[in-house]
Amino acid sequence: MLASKRGVAVIGLLVIASMVITACGPTPAPEVVEKVVKETVVVEVEKEVEKVVEKEVEVVVTATPVPEVVEKQLTIYHWWTAGGERQAMDKIFEWFNKKNPDTEIVDNPVAGGGGITLKTVLLGLLAAKIPPDTFQSLSGAEIKQYVDGNYIEPVDDVWEAQDLDTNYPPVIGKMTLFDGKHYGIPMNAHRANWLFYSKKVFDELDLTPPTTVDEMIAVAETIKEEKPDVAPIAIGTREKWPAVFLFDVVLLSTGGPDVYEKFYTGQLDVKTDPDVRTALEKYEELIPYLYEFHGAKTWSDIVGPMAEGEMAMMVIGDFAAGLLVQAGYVEGTDWDAVGFPQEPEEVFLMIVDTFVQPVGAEHPEATTAWLTNLTDPEMQGEFNVIKGSIAIHKDVPDSTYPDKLHQEASKAFKSKRIVPASIHGVLAPPAFLSDWQDILTRFLYSPDVDRALDEINNSMTLSNAAEASEWYWAK
Amino acid sequence: MTYTRTHIFLFLTPLVVIVLLMYGMMAWTVAVSMDNWVGMAPVWQFNGLQNYVTLFGMERFWINLKNNLIWLVVFIPPTAVLGLLLAYGLELSGRAETLFRPLFLYPLALSFVVSGTVWAWMYDPDAGVINNILRSIGLGSLSQPWIADPREATFCLIGAAIWQYTGFAMTLYLAAIRDIPREIIEAARVDGASDAQIFRYVIVPNTGHATMIVIAMLTLFTLKVFDLVWVMTFGGPGNSTEVFSFFMFVATFRQQLVGIGAAISVVILILAIAVVVPYAWWSMRRLQT
Repeated sequence: MLASKRGVAVIGLLVIASMVITACGPTPAPEVVEKVVKETVVVEVEKEVEKVVEKEVEVVVTATPVPEVVEKQLTIYHWWTAGGERQAMDKIFEWFNKKNPDTEIVDNPVAGGGGITLKTVLLGLLAAKIPPDTFQSLSGAEIKQYVDGNYIEPVDDVWEAQDLDTNYPPVIGKMTLFDGKHYGIPMNAHRANWLFYSKKVFDELDLTPPTTVDEMIAVAETIKEEKPDVAPIAIGTREKWPAVFLFDVVLLSTGGPDVYEKFYTGQLDVKTDPDVRTALEKYEELIPYLYEFHGAKTWSDIVGPMAEGEMAMMVIGDFAAGLLVQAGYVEGTDWDAVGFPQEPEEVFLMIVDTFVQPVGAEHPEATTAWLTNLTDPEMQGEFNVIKGSIAIHKDVPDSTYPDKLHQEASKAFKSKRIVPASIHGVLAPPAFLSDWQDILTRFLYSPDVDRALDEINNSMTLSNAAEASEWYWAK
Repeated sequence: MTYTRTHIFLFLTPLVVIVLLMYGMMAWTVAVSMDNWVGMAPVWQFNGLQNYVTLFGMERFWINLKNNLIWLVVFIPPTAVLGLLLAYGLELSGRAETLFRPLFLYPLALSFVVSGTVWAWMYDPDAGVINNILRSIGLGSLSQPWIADPREATFCLIGAAIWQYTGFAMTLYLAAIRDIPREIIEAARVDGASDAQIFRYVIVPNTGHATMIVIAMLTLFTLKVFDLVWVMTFGGPGNSTEVFSFFMFVATFRQQLVGIGAAISVVILILAIAVVVPYAWWSMRRLQT
């Protein structure tokens, strides 16, 4: 009996020891990456059969390898896996295959919005010096990390061949330019500063969409009084980042785009600068009007209730339009959207998807062909209609898009000031952005402006935000 | 066939390689924790204990520590006790055991991502099943914001983990109960002991070794808990439900403060050793006496 107990105990201790060990490494590497290698080997077989003993046969096999038949390949990593995104990616593949029929695409989609999971996977691949031929990133602070790690190459050849200085707005060039060289080819832009609203609620109360945060608060107050069951401002912060979308429009409204750019690039002394304090105080004023249980919901959980009229307004990117249309809600009938804020200046707050050329890519010609394909205005038009973003090539007409929201986005992109969004590490350094989401969601539950300013200051110091953002202010 | 030294060498080599690899990785993590590695590519710049100083200076670190301790205290006792009660219940249930055992074990087979998503739906303050049941039976006043409330959210996560891990504790206890000689239980029954008395005076004292394993393994689970936090709350609201493993992942891969991420790993290692080694040593001694 005792022996059996000891046996159980010893086995238990062994299990414990192994768990202790696994508990301590930088464990969570949730993705296993397999590299697909295609190899065609022609084998010539020569058989020489000799009877040794009865029923026993000795077979001599000689293999003569012939030179490996190298197929043209393009290994690609990206995060477009959701409904709509996947189909949009297939559209790029279709165009690429049409232009490069000899090249086989080896597709490696890694799910996870904004590419956080993909980044984890890439970190391993790049460090191990087995990079793909191209991968997806975001222009700005995000690709700067790869430039700093010396993991990606300049793509000035494609940039110049396609005359992107002329065909793309200057700010797009700025977002990929480090030390005088372009390190990525952007292909589409999402607008982050839309105010979606419920037509039902706004029509019933005869309200007009607000143009500033003060107006937003006034409209919210009216809704709260007239329709106490309706949450005036829809927001879901379970994934945290929508809290940044809401703050961004507050900062644009109270401080304007210059302050916005300076804040996210660490140029302001947040503890003394009045602009950030004012924005936080205004943000605090919004809290009583937010959907009460925002911490339990994601943004996609609440666009439906907003279109149904259970909530009234929502600040989110244009990708929400795709979800609304998919769910059967009609633009102009159930919901509508306006660029927000419109005072002191309406801007196009931009997120840019980009592809890059890794150092040591196995098939650089295929990468060049891929990047060149991305700049094709026709391809960009077809892709963006499905993706729910807008093309950045100036030759894509506004009428390409079937819906009003994207037509307006396209117009705004060509006529308004383009400001890189903080979100997804486009403008703000990713290390700060991660803390920033925590700071803002905490603030929404326990608003304390001084504490928040301290937290911002600490995080900006830790992430070295000012130095990390010097690229943005370089001439 | 006789075994030679070569055989011994052959058999031991894989084990030695695995052990060296593990300890090598641990040593590497400790080395990285003393480097000023920020960014994607390795930066081998010795930084002493600066990463630890930075870490201990963060409010976030102490929130994480508090949450890890809450997990230890609130998660383990109910899981172990429920596991023991269920195991004894199954033991008494006779043939019904074949039906119930898989039912209780089933949650363990689920991925935490699946169970986390389901529990997040259940905890939804508006549409979630928990609040709706409370409202439908007239207890609407007891409905809660659950994961939307920073003060409650960690306990909600623990609730999901208890649901998932009770079957695991039950299985270990069931094996331990089956290990008890039948004569003892039968003798107690002949002496007129009730089921409750048998539980108190026979089952509990004779399953101490299983308790040791259950507690040690659940402790390690709490130090590693990651998926549930990631899926259900993403560490929020704010940082209110963050635990060390989550912080380590975010710092290393999201923020690319790799040195600080490694320092958090080392803290997890120290905690794991600090909790488990004395406990295991004490339990082994108790077992021997």
